[in-house]
Amino acid sequence: MNKITVHCTVNHKPVVVETEPNKRLLDLLREDLGLTSVKEGCSEGECGACTVIFNGDPVTSCCMLAGQAEGADIITLEGISVDGKPDLVQQAYMESGAVQCGFCIPGMILVTEALLAKNPNPTREEAKQALSGNLCRCTGYTKIVDAVLLAAEKMRGEASR
Amino acid sequence: MKPFDFYAPSTVEETLALLDQYQNSVALIAGGTDLTLELNERKASPAVVIDLKPVRELDYIRVENGRFRIGSMTTHASLAGNEMIRQHVRLLHDATRQVGSPQIRNLGTIGGNIAQSSVAGDGLAACVALNADVTLRSVRGERTMNINDFLTGEGVQKRNSLAADELLTEISFPVPDPKHTATAFYKLAKRKSLAISVIAGCLVVTVDDDGICTAASMRAGALGRYPMRFEGAEAYLVGKKLTYNTMLETLPMMHDQVLEANRSRPWSVFYKKEGVQGVFKKLFADVLGQLGLEEVQA
Repeated sequence: MNKITVHCTVNHKPVVVETEPNKRLLDLLREDLGLTSVKEGCSEGECGACTVIFNGDPVTSCCMLAGQAEGADIITLEGISVDGKPDLVQQAYMESGAVQCGFCIPGMILVTEALLAKNPNPTREEAKQALSGNLCRCTGYTKIVDAVLLAAEKMRGEASR
Repeated sequence: MKPFDFYAPSTVEETLALLDQYQNSVALIAGGTDLTLELNERKASPAVVIDLKPVRELDYIRVENGRFRIGSMTTHASLAGNEMIRQHVRLLHDATRQVGSPQIRNLGTIGGNIAQSSVAGDGLAACVALNADVTLRSVRGERTMNINDFLTGEGVQKRNSLAADELLTEISFPVPDPKHTATAFYKLAKRKSLAISVIAGCLVVTVDDDGICTAASMRAGALGRYPMRFEGAEAYLVGKKLTYNTMLETLPMMHDQVLEANRSRPWSVFYKKEGVQGVFKKLFADVLGQLGLEEVQA
């Protein structure tokens, strides 16, 4: 087996990493790059915990091989915060009380970021649709959807809080 | 994951050369939503993996000479978001927008869905109902065949006709005439998202100016190895005025066909003989509404 060299942009920084091809993108991010916000849940694309933003779109990184990152622009939760402080989406999740154990939250927040980048004013139904690939096993989705809508308000500069 | 060599060609030509070189030891990765899991679980252990994502020339949706031509690397998300598909081929729009989850739809491709030929492939069922053609290429040349002929177990994977050196490059079908043809898809599944089809109902009907049915394609995925064709029901509709009541008369035929096909299956799947009727009632109401013939609540 020949090693591969992957050139990509991860969290706004260019990265060159030599790795084994028989690895998932999830493993490349967690093990080679130490980005442990990318969670391994079901390992079969059903729970959304391993979601990353890949060239602007949310994808499950357990369903991709490391080599497929070549040339890609990848954002993980580590790339969301601003100067080490939570961004508006993260603030909205905290203020809405949307986080319980937190395991699903990196995926949820990345899906929210990708949604709001394309649709700054989603309806509740559109927010639920966007989150339909992410499972939370603690409690439920009401406050998570609230957080998406609050984040949208904040990003539009309308939130009073 | 067992070791393999990884290739990421950027053109069809390079891909075909690699396929020719490695033949039976290759796995092609289209969206990867099946293959990556199979590799990870060591259910697949190819010596070589070829990533098709960089082959940009296989990602397109075009209309040429009255036919939709869709590149095999077009994702479910691209199809579901395409306005021409939504307007002209509701069946394919509704099938692709319900595949897996948003994340899966951003990765998974129509070509992967067809080449994988899963029992429950919704894109596959939709293309079968549309009587699509598929184009296969290899260094030996190119062949285009009807998707029904493609779905035989003679190929390298015993799932379809793909030979070891062949690549599925294109799916094509005629653009339906919106005044006379309506298409519909209804997915029966255990939940709304991340669901595998229990029945993937597909309906294409064509009527003349008097509302007489001139052609019908009635198919459903997840009822057999390949999308089931309800030939008796199709023949019953052709030549008759298309009404909800006439369409309901085909339900006993579908019931009997599903019952017969699933006789050797566990009792737990017998509900499908009832389920198929509910699915097709929805489809009948959908196409009648689209054609402006009848408003029905199904």
